[in-house]
Amino acid sequence: MSTIDEFEAAREDLEALLIEVLGTVAGEEAIPVWDDEELPPGPIVSSRLAIHDEDDDSHTMVTIRTSAIVARVLASRMLLTPDPGPDDLLDAVGELGNIAGGNVKSLLRHSCRLSLPMAGVAEHTGEPGLPGGVTVRALVLGQVVELSVGVADDVTGLYWPGATSAVEV
Amino acid sequence: MKILVADDSRAMRMIVIRTLRQAGYAGHEVIEAENGKEALEIASRQAVDLILSDWNMPEMTGIEFLRALRANGTTTPFCFVTSEGSEEMRELAQACGALGLIAKPFTTESFSDILSSVVTA
Repeated sequence: MSTIDEFEAAREDLEALLIEVLGTVAGEEAIPVWDDEELPPGPIVSSRLAIHDEDDDSHTMVTIRTSAIVARVLASRMLLTPDPGPDDLLDAVGELGNIAGGNVKSLLRHSCRLSLPMAGVAEHTGEPGLPGGVTVRALVLGQVVELSVGVADDVTGLYWPGATSAVEV
Repeated sequence: MKILVADDSRAMRMIVIRTLRQAGYAGHEVIEAENGKEALEIASRQAVDLILSDWNMPEMTGIEFLRALRANGTTTPFCFVTSEGSEEMRELAQACGALGLIAKPFTTESFSDILSSVVTA
């Protein structure tokens, strides 16, 4: 089972991962930012997925959050469309979460299963992306993109592609 | 050449297709599938020359898709393009008959390195 200490120890790796993913996927240079840089008020697009350790039945949650403005630019660049729709924003941020999640799994945990990402839009309330987790942030297009990793208590609704059949938890 | 790209994310399919072109493999016909099941149906209906597939997909995962293909006797070159690049997964991919595994995020060079032996520029 991963612990908060393990996530803290991997903080620099998580920052480097976020910078690399944003740079490669968005084609935009991203820079690390400090904890006092927050997501802006307004709609936030987020993606969450979990890593399941079958040895001890524990879950690690990985979330990505950014503003709808950044999500729109990401979707536009990833899909090569000037006017991405709401589903395109979810797809773009979901895939960003998927890439981050896969890399976090490789970084922290092996022989585990990865869920598919679940993306959504919500008004930013100032709450942390993953209470009790480790959060790293990068600045891209002048706004914050946030990656959080932590122990997951609730993995309701996530979809788990399996070796023989896919199941929803 | 006919290239089948399977990924449940349309955004990622677009990026894979764009990266193929940037790696010098423009001009090939590309067919898209949203999951392994749809990809298997396409590959069963028509001959494709190369398959690039995500691993973690709904309906049928990439490794299930690859195993089904090989069980049918289909030997089409197959490469994973996936967010998980552990050594364990690379070994499993190769043991099941994949050319290799390109981990996301990827570069045009990572495409060239693996695909140069099976795709003509």
